[in-house]
Amino acid sequence: MRKLYILLCPLLAALLLPGCVREDEIDNTPQGNLYALWKIIDERYCFLDYKAQATGLDWSGAYSRYSNRLSEGMNSYQLFEVMCDMLSELQDGHVNLSIPSDMGRYWAWHEDYPDNFSASVIERTYLGTDYKIAGGIKYRILDDNTGYLYYESFSNGIGEGNLDEIMHYLRACNGLIVDVRNNSGGRLDYAERLAQRFTNEHILTGYTSHKTGTGHNDFSTPTADYLSPSTGIRWQKRAVVLTNRRCYSATNTFVRDIKECPLVTIMGDRTGGGSGLPFSSELPNGWLVRFSACPMYNARMEQIEFGIDPDIAVNQSSDDTLKGVDSLIETARTFLKK
Amino acid sequence: MNKRIRLFLYGMTGLLCGMTAHLDAQERDVPDNRYTTHATLIGAGRSSLLETYLSPLEYTGPQLTFLRETLRKTHWAEGRVSTQSLLGGYFAYTQNPVRNAEDMAGMIEYRTGWHSNWTLPFRLRLMAGGQIGAYAGFVYNTRNGNNPAQAKAGAELSASVVAIYPFRIRHVPFAIRYQCDMPVMGMMFSPAYGQAYYEIFSEGNYDHNVRFTHPGNAPTFRQLLTLDFPVKDYTFRVGYLCDVRQSRVNALKSHTYNHSFLVGYVKHFQFIKRKDRQRNRLIM
Repeated sequence: MRKLYILLCPLLAALLLPGCVREDEIDNTPQGNLYALWKIIDERYCFLDYKAQATGLDWSGAYSRYSNRLSEGMNSYQLFEVMCDMLSELQDGHVNLSIPSDMGRYWAWHEDYPDNFSASVIERTYLGTDYKIAGGIKYRILDDNTGYLYYESFSNGIGEGNLDEIMHYLRACNGLIVDVRNNSGGRLDYAERLAQRFTNEHILTGYTSHKTGTGHNDFSTPTADYLSPSTGIRWQKRAVVLTNRRCYSATNTFVRDIKECPLVTIMGDRTGGGSGLPFSSELPNGWLVRFSACPMYNARMEQIEFGIDPDIAVNQSSDDTLKGVDSLIETARTFLKK
Repeated sequence: MNKRIRLFLYGMTGLLCGMTAHLDAQERDVPDNRYTTHATLIGAGRSSLLETYLSPLEYTGPQLTFLRETLRKTHWAEGRVSTQSLLGGYFAYTQNPVRNAEDMAGMIEYRTGWHSNWTLPFRLRLMAGGQIGAYAGFVYNTRNGNNPAQAKAGAELSASVVAIYPFRIRHVPFAIRYQCDMPVMGMMFSPAYGQAYYEIFSEGNYDHNVRFTHPGNAPTFRQLLTLDFPVKDYTFRVGYLCDVRQSRVNALKSHTYNHSFLVGYVKHFQFIKRKDRQRNRLIM
């Protein structure tokens, strides 16, 4: 019987000692939902301290500032508006609040800047009607023997076989223009797959970190990100990557990576940024909130949340617009002939 | 005392397995440790899920459970040790409090353990011992982006107690059984607080993704209450399973509270070796 007690006592103690693992319940009221939103960002958003320095963000005081705008009997649209205003202080395109009728967003990262891109000009003047399509990439050889490929979205897949075919088709070109303008992101593995075609070496392209706790400074030691050369056909001549302010998220990471490749030049406008891998969460009323959770840095451990500068800045000229010509492509063609 | 225990254990083994009187004659021919009880149970109930990696809200909904048990006495410690293996799992479909998002969760688990047996007054039998087990599962949120799911995997060492009370009503044998299992140490997988699975599986960046667990950071227990009863030549089992799994690692909170009502059947086997007296009756 002593044996029995020896076995039972720790079990009973263990049963009695631990409590329930629960999360604090927040009321499904305007005040509760606003607080829940503030708390999610306060604990999980990854750029609070960086943006406090870069933009003067004061997130600690945000809840009290915006809770003053709440009133008895306000409807859900009014609450949504208050919440979106609070979130816009983050100045982050990866931050969204979704309700069935709308999606709160911050798009000033491209809305406040020139487009530097016209899809109709690209189709009419450069791609024409007989261009090729492989996966998510449209491509052709321009009249001056310059290769041109346009990747509209990294949400559209690309396979290694697709890239081998593209590289093989363009192999005789003098240079290559990789156009990722208006590509607002998608899957990082597609972006990396394309970038791997432009390096023969295992190169350091940046660092990635993540939050390890609820504190504003609770981050893991940044882990180095390397770009490994593809085992398929790789581009061995000069290449120009065209960018504009709508290059965001995975495209920002693509530009970060390919910028480190020796024969690649970034041309156009600064990218839109978006270097935080977004996570999702939700409020007591079921509204979905998206926010940046894992920060990515460039190879010099600098923040790229607000974009990456091009090596050569080029803007669309009004003269070229009237002529139906893309200034960035023309500048890239001239650059590649040198 | 020892003699009384031994005698009682012989009897209890039969009762535990829900055996009827017609097996008594065979008990004398086959050693105790050849009797094996298989129980197969299915059940349904409610599940409450919390995965702060996915959402701070608690999701609730229906769940289906299955449980397969094998119980056998061994020849160890003069037959006072029994061995038990449990294969179980569940699938839950849950929704958030406002019913506009879903979590689907599933898990499969295998445990095997050994119990020492004691006989107390009033024919109450107590079993206490330990188990080792492993599990794998998932929680999938249907609308999240880069954090759509949480993987569940781990191994643990548990303490386990069982109480069995056999009784008869009008000479019909019944058995009530209560079992409580509680992990006392183990290890589990968990992403770091804000770590994306992309980092772990695509980039190979690991950060404390295997954590040591104990009742302080993973207070987990399972309670099973069953009643065995015969119907003609068959033994059936009904029961209630309370499966409480919790963890608080890497600043992430998780709980799964499953309450299931179970129903199933019990089968009794006896392994016969050639040296047994029955060998003459074997065909092969």
